Amino acid sequence: MQDKFFICVAFIFSTSAIVLAVDSSRTQNPLVASRSAISPHSFVDQYCAGCHNSDKKKGDLDLESISSEEINHHSDIWEKVDRKLRARQMPPADKKRPDESTYKAILTRIESSLDSAYAQHPNPGRTETFRRLNRTEYQNAIRDLLALEIDASTLLPKDDSEHGFDTVTSGNLSPTLLNRYISAAEKISRLAVGTAGRVGGDTIRIRPDLTQEEHVQGLPLGTRGGTLIPYTFPQDAEYEIQVRLTRDRNEEVEGLHETHQLELLLDDERVKSFTVTPPKGHKNYELVDQHLHFRGPVTAGPHQLGVTFVKNPSELLETKRQPYNAHFNMHRHPRIGPAVYQVSINGPYSAKGPGDTPSRRRIFASRPATAKEEELCAKKILSTLMRRAYRRPVIETDLEKPMAFYRKGHADAGFEAGIENALSAILVSPQFLFRVELDPDRVATNSAYRISDLDLASRLSFFLWSSIPDDQLLVSAEHGDLSKPRLLEKQVRRMLADPRAKSLASNFAGQWLYLRNLDGFTPDLRLFPDFDDNLREAFRTETELFFENIMQEDKSVVGLLKADYTFLNERLARHYGIPNVYGDRFRRVSTSPESERGGLLRQGSVLAVTSYATRTSPVVRGKWVLANLLGTPPPPPLPNVPALKDNAISASLSVRERLAEHRSNAQCASCHSLIDPPGFALENFDAVGRWRNMEEGKPVDASGGLPDGSRFTGISGLEQGLLNRPEVFVTTLTEKLLTFALGRGVEPYDGPAIRKIVRDAQAQDYRFSSIIVGLAKSTPFTMRRSL
Amino acid sequence: MIITKKALPRRTFLRGVGATLALPLLDAMIPAATVLAKTPAKPVPRLGFVFMPMGCDITRWTPPGEKLDQLSPILGSLAPIREHVTVITNMELQNAYPGSHATSNSAFLSAAKAKLTESTDYYLGTTVDQIAAQHVGQETQLPSLELAMDLMQVVGQCDNGYACVYQNNLSWSSPTTPLPAEAHPRIVFESLFGEGGSVGDRRAALRKKASLLDSFNDDITRLQRKLGPADRSKVSQYLDSVREVERRIQRAESDAVDNPLPDLDRPVGVPAAYADHVRLMFDLQVLALQGDVTRIITFQLARETSNRTYPEIGVPDPHHPLSHHGNDPEKIARMAKINQFHVSLFAYFLEKLKATREGDGTLLDHCLYLYGSGIGNPNVHDHSNLPVIVAGGSATGMKGGRHIKYAKPTPLANLHLTLLDKVGVHLDSFADSKGKVDELFEPLSV
Repeated sequence: MQDKFFICVAFIFSTSAIVLAVDSSRTQNPLVASRSAISPHSFVDQYCAGCHNSDKKKGDLDLESISSEEINHHSDIWEKVDRKLRARQMPPADKKRPDESTYKAILTRIESSLDSAYAQHPNPGRTETFRRLNRTEYQNAIRDLLALEIDASTLLPKDDSEHGFDTVTSGNLSPTLLNRYISAAEKISRLAVGTAGRVGGDTIRIRPDLTQEEHVQGLPLGTRGGTLIPYTFPQDAEYEIQVRLTRDRNEEVEGLHETHQLELLLDDERVKSFTVTPPKGHKNYELVDQHLHFRGPVTAGPHQLGVTFVKNPSELLETKRQPYNAHFNMHRHPRIGPAVYQVSINGPYSAKGPGDTPSRRRIFASRPATAKEEELCAKKILSTLMRRAYRRPVIETDLEKPMAFYRKGHADAGFEAGIENALSAILVSPQFLFRVELDPDRVATNSAYRISDLDLASRLSFFLWSSIPDDQLLVSAEHGDLSKPRLLEKQVRRMLADPRAKSLASNFAGQWLYLRNLDGFTPDLRLFPDFDDNLREAFRTETELFFENIMQEDKSVVGLLKADYTFLNERLARHYGIPNVYGDRFRRVSTSPESERGGLLRQGSVLAVTSYATRTSPVVRGKWVLANLLGTPPPPPLPNVPALKDNAISASLSVRERLAEHRSNAQCASCHSLIDPPGFALENFDAVGRWRNMEEGKPVDASGGLPDGSRFTGISGLEQGLLNRPEVFVTTLTEKLLTFALGRGVEPYDGPAIRKIVRDAQAQDYRFSSIIVGLAKSTPFTMRRSL
Repeated sequence: MIITKKALPRRTFLRGVGATLALPLLDAMIPAATVLAKTPAKPVPRLGFVFMPMGCDITRWTPPGEKLDQLSPILGSLAPIREHVTVITNMELQNAYPGSHATSNSAFLSAAKAKLTESTDYYLGTTVDQIAAQHVGQETQLPSLELAMDLMQVVGQCDNGYACVYQNNLSWSSPTTPLPAEAHPRIVFESLFGEGGSVGDRRAALRKKASLLDSFNDDITRLQRKLGPADRSKVSQYLDSVREVERRIQRAESDAVDNPLPDLDRPVGVPAAYADHVRLMFDLQVLALQGDVTRIITFQLARETSNRTYPEIGVPDPHHPLSHHGNDPEKIARMAKINQFHVSLFAYFLEKLKATREGDGTLLDHCLYLYGSGIGNPNVHDHSNLPVIVAGGSATGMKGGRHIKYAKPTPLANLHLTLLDKVGVHLDSFADSKGKVDELFEPLSV
């Protein structure tokens, strides 16, 4: 995409290009405000009213006329003012600005007013009454409910997101979605119970830009390429497995220059070995992989299916002659050996039965000894499942409908069919599919109330695990423990230590930092010939492990911005130019200052998702910093602004020069003077995150800045600039976490609650858990506003 | 209980909902019920587009006369259904210039100029099929169906500086939204029919689905009673969805009863031979149209610059280099064989449509299919004198068995505009259209 250049005519609280008119009649006594107790009125008078007065109303804001009134009467406006002052974005850097102690004093003054008003009349906001489980939550809920790994992306359409998170837009239920939920429920119930179904199958295709010359983690040493597929087989039965190899544009199998050995492995055991031979005279390539076919017995349940090649010794030699790590493109850097294109698994054939699977052990915790016991046993099984699925205690009447389904299924095909039928009814119940938060019966309208402990348990589990509560959490909710801050904190800490909390890295951080966009990031092959899917995945893994590390070792979240370590495997280390890291396994690596690595802003993932296919974009990177680290996102570009064509000014100019030209337009400059400088500071990293000192024959100019007016050069300067006011970053992270946790955007009235979380965390050096615990105990998280 | 169309009064099906329904919704339900009845007075128009890559040998394509009693070598296989086919000569795609493979594909249904970019800021135009789908698609389970033959993705740079999306996607639902096509028969099948099986299996599956829907409906209705007015409106949105899914199930149910499809076996893999794969994709289209699961279909027989070889018809050469034949008569002859092969597969499809009963006629009677390419002479990437066929049935009013020869180059968009007209989308113009292909249809009779 072209750069979108932002014209910000009506940018609320925008930096102004208009010279602040200091009206001496208004500042009769410049010393009127002692620094310790400067009044909002005199502060506005001295620093704001030149633009934000009743005449100019710069940014549609008139502070002059409200500054003498009670702050609490205009809390929304003062919250916005507070945000701009905290980030030191206002007054603009080229205007008369207060000194640091005045900044601190006025912030204290504003915040204490806002916070004490909030303490008396808390406004927790109102979460949506209905929130549908999104795809990730659904997948995790099925895992935790039925001990069944599914790929929800093959069952449900993708979710939209708002405010940057897919937990937000989850109130809608389109017909297609409802239809898919029903189909998914049937498929899942069948798979979990292990019912005999018709022959079906799955085809797993491998990304075409995956290089398959090196060892894949999880496969035996001495192999190269291929893939490891986690797959749940529905029954004890025979299955057919068919492998196809990657072909080029001429339908010839790529990289097939000599004989290769292909191995099929099931849970690390070799089940079949094939020989692949180049066809004579480069003809009949369709016959090359026709025999890569296996039919044999597999037990029901989850297995790891491996498909890989034995590494030929000759390939090693050839590898050394190749300048690139990436090998998937026929013309530029062809495959050295053949590669797996897709694996089809079909079955079950000659099924023997449902077998013994984790799902069946989970579901059939009790078994009827006689036909008489069946009803009772079914009730026991179903009420256990329902309690977990509905995330609350189950009463007798809840059982009526599932039992009706049970009896219907039982009449058709016996006990287990009855359970399966009832399970599908449970999985389509709105009580499973939706998180419903209802106002209590006796609560006044528009008042803040404490949500029930059971609702709180669900909020906790979907926040920390993106899944349903476990039994321990449900029990403590039933005992009323979660109303006691100490016991609530105990649960939160237990949950954070649980492996399920990894979803905070993959799901929360994946959205906050835009790691999800990596899938769609495909840089121009001619400019970045050494990019492949292996590198794309390594980018993602580095950042997820880095985030997990902060979380697991309970470090200060400020450490996300600056670190002397990171997580690398050989592929990524080579990309970064860091020596002595070998193999596909990721490990923690201490980084020297010269390596220029460590910290989020130096990671390939973040640098790539903020770049275009052909080049870096200081605008996109700058906007990313403003929105995700500083919490002051620029407004979206106006729709009628034409994108600046790459060559509209002059193709010979660098991006920086073109942007400079652009900022010479005052309208553009009002936003771009804030957006571009942080992006410029990252210019030493190219579009795929490699370090560069030269760009197109010229030295890289990485001089940049921050909206607070600070100016510096390069990434170190940017990091230092952010670390100078860690509370700004921590506040932004807290706001992102709150958005994710509550599924609603942060509103001005949330300001006091967020400040409390940040202040309390500050006393604990901003440890990761201090923010999570603070958020879990906060007013917006534990309370709700009635209608 | 066996649920048939007659035994499915929605009041009992959705018991307990009636009282909470607002009147406009009741109105909205009527068209759905009418469509369900499929009154014979109103035939349902279906629109399909089949894309043939890289043009053809136009001398072996163009029929000699104005009638199709004599067919050209490439079109020979259309003989059994010639009265349902019209060949149109001298159509062009001005917006596909400067000539390229990417724009051949992208302009075929959009008639729009593709923005020259290799990045994600691609921009084209809404394609004719999607305009139709936005209009008639709401009446079917799926608004439209996009099919292709190439299972493989192309990575990186594609053609002459154009992003791969132009070359891969025929259908665009907006100028920036290409719709990826599916080539895997099983995935296509499941999106159409669920898991298939015999008529009995399918009806049993639909009944189970209906009972689960019913259960959802009961629960959500019970929940609604506990809510305040604001939240209640949310639930009534959910109830709309319930009704829509109910409609789809009813449609599928009634189709299974009134218009029974043969036993459906879910295709398991992808046939190894190209022709088998194409026929299977065409069979799926017949089923989709027959079941009225969708009324709009696009199908790409192969990508532009495809290097598929066709050894089964004696052409071992990859198609793309062969199409740049340099006027070598032998190469042209081999390329023409591929063209002929593609047309024969389309003829197979038309015959199948004709053999499928619908109402008091055949399925073909209610179909309009455009078959053609975005390139005329592939040797020079020329987008003029395109090979174009329209196939269609009597109910559409199309006059078949003819060869319309334009004296002057005429925009392909004229044809798109005409086809849209036929499915009830009346636009003044489409892309660079300059009129309609009025000659294609009988004058409207009262």
